[in-house]
Amino acid sequence: MPYGGERSAEDHSDAADLSSKEMEMKQAIDELKAIPGVVGACLFGAQEGLIQSNLPGIFKPEKLTEVGKQLTKLLVAGRLSFSDLSDLSLHYDESVVIARELRKGLTVFVICDPSFNHNLLTMSLNLLQEEMRGQVDVQRSGFAEDSTPRPAVPLASPPVAGTVDADLEPLLAELRALLAKVLGPMAAIIFDEVREQWAVQGAVASRVNELVKLLHVEIGDADKIKTFEALSAPLLKK
Amino acid sequence: MATAKEFIARIDEIDGVAGCVLLREDGSILGGSLDDPDLYTPLMVLGGVTAHGIKDKVGFTYCRHLSFNRAGKDHFHLFPIDKFFLGVSQSADCFVPDMLQAVLRLIGRVTTGGTSAEG
Repeated sequence: MPYGGERSAEDHSDAADLSSKEMEMKQAIDELKAIPGVVGACLFGAQEGLIQSNLPGIFKPEKLTEVGKQLTKLLVAGRLSFSDLSDLSLHYDESVVIARELRKGLTVFVICDPSFNHNLLTMSLNLLQEEMRGQVDVQRSGFAEDSTPRPAVPLASPPVAGTVDADLEPLLAELRALLAKVLGPMAAIIFDEVREQWAVQGAVASRVNELVKLLHVEIGDADKIKTFEALSAPLLKK
Repeated sequence: MATAKEFIARIDEIDGVAGCVLLREDGSILGGSLDDPDLYTPLMVLGGVTAHGIKDKVGFTYCRHLSFNRAGKDHFHLFPIDKFFLGVSQSADCFVPDMLQAVLRLIGRVTTGGTSAEG
């Protein structure tokens, strides 16, 4: 369950199960916090947002959500450049932030004092990563057995990620190239991420306008959005 | 340290540095010794933006460096320097703290010397 979120009554039957998972996740980050020099840790889901945190109250959930988003994005980009990327460490004057993808869509980040024990933390993260991967396997087999529809849970809708119409590929490639004219060297990474997010609901021609809207959000700058609109308009009229 | 070329040469001399690349913050390459510096450019810009964004969001003061830690131990380190980014690829067998300290010391000399790395 996302940090600070609310459950509907329809999900009540799953509450005990979710609670148990939440407890396990809480316990996992509490174990990280016990390592000397570790201030606290957070679990961040690409879909769920902030899942768990045991950082002091001055680290507000909204800020941690933003940090989680940025670190998740950088981990994805890092893996494109370095296939054997294990984690990121950001060394600030007063703190170090370590981020690791525990499994696809789940990132843990840890904030430490500069004097933290890196080897001990790395070992603990390795163990946590193994544990989380094991849980995913168990969950997958569990979901396969229990196919009861759960309308209140958005994740229950079957994803069709990666199923891109073959005819659509040239258009997407052109949009990607146009984005590079507006955003420069960052465009490739941003486009691929947005495309992946968009494709979850189905990568079909009728939804290209939604992709363009998502790209506008990522561009973020009104002038650049106008430029991109002007460049992409001829493609979208085809 | 007047020019980017000299700066890069000095970075390359540091024990444990396998290669480096120096960028402006907009991603344009000033120079480097890595075989294909274009491969690193987008990641360095994104890394720099992320490090800066987290600094502002959380309230940290200054990002010394960002490391992409790899299973093969040939980690890649990003150092924000004013409006520039220095990327350093390390040798897998180097003693990382010494290498990082030497790079940071050289960066400190460049940034406190009142001269730009651009040239």
